[in-house]
Amino acid sequence: MGFHRSFMPISRREFIAGTAAAPLLLEAQKVPARPKLAAVCTICFRMSHAQHIVDRFLDGYGWNSTHHHPPMDLVALYVNQIGKDDLSRERAARHPGMKMYPTIAEALTQGGSKLAVDGVVLVGEHGHYPQNEKGQTKYPRYEFFQQIVKVFRDSGRSVPVFSDKHLSWNWDWAKEMYDTARSMGFAFMAGSSLPVTWRTPSLEMPADARVREAMCVCYGGVDSYDFHGLETIQCMVERRRGGEVGVKWVQAYRGENFWKAYEQNVWPRELAEAALCRSHTLTPSRPGFNDIFPSLEDMRRLVKDPVAYRYEHEDGVKATMLLMNGLVKDFNFAATLEGRREPFSTQMYLPMPDGRTTQANFFSPLVNNMEKMFLTGRATYPVERTLLTTGLTAAGVESLHRNQARYETPHLAIRYQPSQESTFWRT
Amino acid sequence: MPKRVAVITTVYRYLTHAQHEADRILVGYPHGGAWHRPDLKIVSLYVDQKPEGDLGGSRAREFGFTVYPTIGEALRCGGDKLAVDAIMIIGEHGHYPKNEKGQILYPRYDWFQQCVDVFEKDERSVPVFNDKNLSYSFEKATRMVAASKRLGFPMLAGSSVPVTWRLPDIELPLGSEIEDALMVGEGGSDAMDYHALEGMQCMVERRKGGETGVRAVQLLEGDEVWKAGEEGRWSKELLTAALSRSDTPLGLTVKDGRTQDLVHNGELPKLAKNPWGYFIEYRDGLKATLLMLDGAIQDFNFAARVKSLGLRSTQFLLTPEPNVTYSACLVGKAEEMFVTGKAPYPVERTLIVSGILESCLTSRVQGHKRLETPEINVRYEAPRESQHCRA
Repeated sequence: MGFHRSFMPISRREFIAGTAAAPLLLEAQKVPARPKLAAVCTICFRMSHAQHIVDRFLDGYGWNSTHHHPPMDLVALYVNQIGKDDLSRERAARHPGMKMYPTIAEALTQGGSKLAVDGVVLVGEHGHYPQNEKGQTKYPRYEFFQQIVKVFRDSGRSVPVFSDKHLSWNWDWAKEMYDTARSMGFAFMAGSSLPVTWRTPSLEMPADARVREAMCVCYGGVDSYDFHGLETIQCMVERRRGGEVGVKWVQAYRGENFWKAYEQNVWPRELAEAALCRSHTLTPSRPGFNDIFPSLEDMRRLVKDPVAYRYEHEDGVKATMLLMNGLVKDFNFAATLEGRREPFSTQMYLPMPDGRTTQANFFSPLVNNMEKMFLTGRATYPVERTLLTTGLTAAGVESLHRNQARYETPHLAIRYQPSQESTFWRT
Repeated sequence: MPKRVAVITTVYRYLTHAQHEADRILVGYPHGGAWHRPDLKIVSLYVDQKPEGDLGGSRAREFGFTVYPTIGEALRCGGDKLAVDAIMIIGEHGHYPKNEKGQILYPRYDWFQQCVDVFEKDERSVPVFNDKNLSYSFEKATRMVAASKRLGFPMLAGSSVPVTWRLPDIELPLGSEIEDALMVGEGGSDAMDYHALEGMQCMVERRKGGETGVRAVQLLEGDEVWKAGEEGRWSKELLTAALSRSDTPLGLTVKDGRTQDLVHNGELPKLAKNPWGYFIEYRDGLKATLLMLDGAIQDFNFAARVKSLGLRSTQFLLTPEPNVTYSACLVGKAEEMFVTGKAPYPVERTLIVSGILESCLTSRVQGHKRLETPEINVRYEAPRESQHCRA
């Protein structure tokens, strides 16, 4: 029999992060010995997030010197869009223990009338969804989440939920998701694999570091990989002295504005260069050379559409995320710390299956953290991180939409403490 | 004053070892979170073959050094005395004949001898870095190491696999009681098998008692490799551990993205149609195995069972082209020797691997028989400090 708890435990961090509102507790939370899970996905094709995540529950994955099979069963799957290249039906056929359901409610109840799973994985990435005027893809994460919590409410019971990537493209909805999870008292975890993947070198931000400035030089698009860059920064700076206190404003820079800002040291150039020195994918700026440091002129030539989000935390710490497509294809972090002459830097290493590997194994530590939550009923790292990076992503997009004007973010006064333990991949 | 370096190489074209290693001295390289510009100056270059795409001449013009027609002239910079402080021998790539064992006869030994001749005539010797294995011939490799001992100059050699990033960043504690070790890799013989063997050697040399040499080797091919697994000559548990670190399973993963337990899902023999197994029996009783599984994976992963620690495994991360930042890790070690006059790790590691590889290939041409290897009487202590990239 499973391990029963009379209430959903509130960790110190959740307690600190929380308001005075007591969690609205439904029926006793149970953490069974072998949890049953439901996955709620937009679409499942080769190399989609759903495929990476669902397959790790079904087929296991390499972990700590073995092929690890999660000690839990993915029993129900909902897929919103079944395309020509759909893989979910093949997975269901090969794994008869997992059934596909036509609605989220049916998946969570396994076709019955009450919640019949012990954990939910929400993967709202990829698929054909409309874009708004700001260029944000309106992935239905909020809508799916609402349907999930409706089952919780109707059943008088709630279970842990993991939500892939940022909570929603819409800040108000993201905040509502967070508030709902808190008021209903279920464990909630979300975000990117960047905070949990390998690092080269394998370094953690020292606890209580006095961070002055932080930087991520990375690649990808707006309302897409910008979120990963922001999570890269946030999982490091949240460990600074005093913990996270929220963000005051965000300003985006794009195109010529970006280069002007770069030249005028709007962000510290030496930090951008320190981050670039961690890259394994620096585009050679001269033919015939395989690994050569680019000048600013080289960068201008190589990067056609650079984007920066620069922002300031409530305690004065500043951070900058640079999307430099054409220059790098990895996520590189650097920070200046008080009492340390050289920048503190590392790469959040993604074994990316774009020709470099065949398998996106950075999903392995992400799934492993989910497993821990489903087994213990506790998130391994604070969802407030992803609430903040969700808000930062939306604020960056907003600033771009407002002609790169500085965007005040009083709504991002999000305070939280990091997990004590490191949760990135290092074993 | 920067140290003066001579580069002796087979071919200097884009993405050859010569290009990415020598260029790092010319334009710097990423090191410890900064773009490191070595206090070294290439003053002379010898290039044996200059096919289309040769970059030696243009580098010489741009960076102010001279391409010499002979090794002796390169070392003396056209004068009559040794005129450099360090030598890099990069004898990889280019067209050279193969022997009956399939080994490419790169002239590393001959070139090294020419350097030694100059040292002896000019009564001065300088540190020598030799890229990859010392020679296709263990006998020649032994003479190279003996010459460096006799004349007392520091010598470093080998692959970048031992010094690159590891996922996870592990080191076996010095003095570990290693019960079993296995490496898995791909990429064919006399190139990638050498790298894989040296990756395994840099881990097992840390065992209790240090390196004591190799008693016997055997190379098996094809179904014999799988049969050896069934008979327990290599450990499926260790192969599972090593493959748990791989980011490049082929077959079904390529087809539809799924994760695979290759050791137990029956796919391995279908994917690796012609596996090679290198079986190494060390003199102290340790047995180690390299499996080259072309068609199954595309990276290099190690696993060992260590007394009181259990299973330990890691991937030697070979970062992508064109940066191949792993070669920056290796150049950093050569530079360290050039600057300090001390090799950061023993050249005997490369010597023993040169011997293991040649003997395994001899086993193959002699009907895959087990070969006693009394000549691989190579003893050394592993470096106390970890030498791979981890900062």
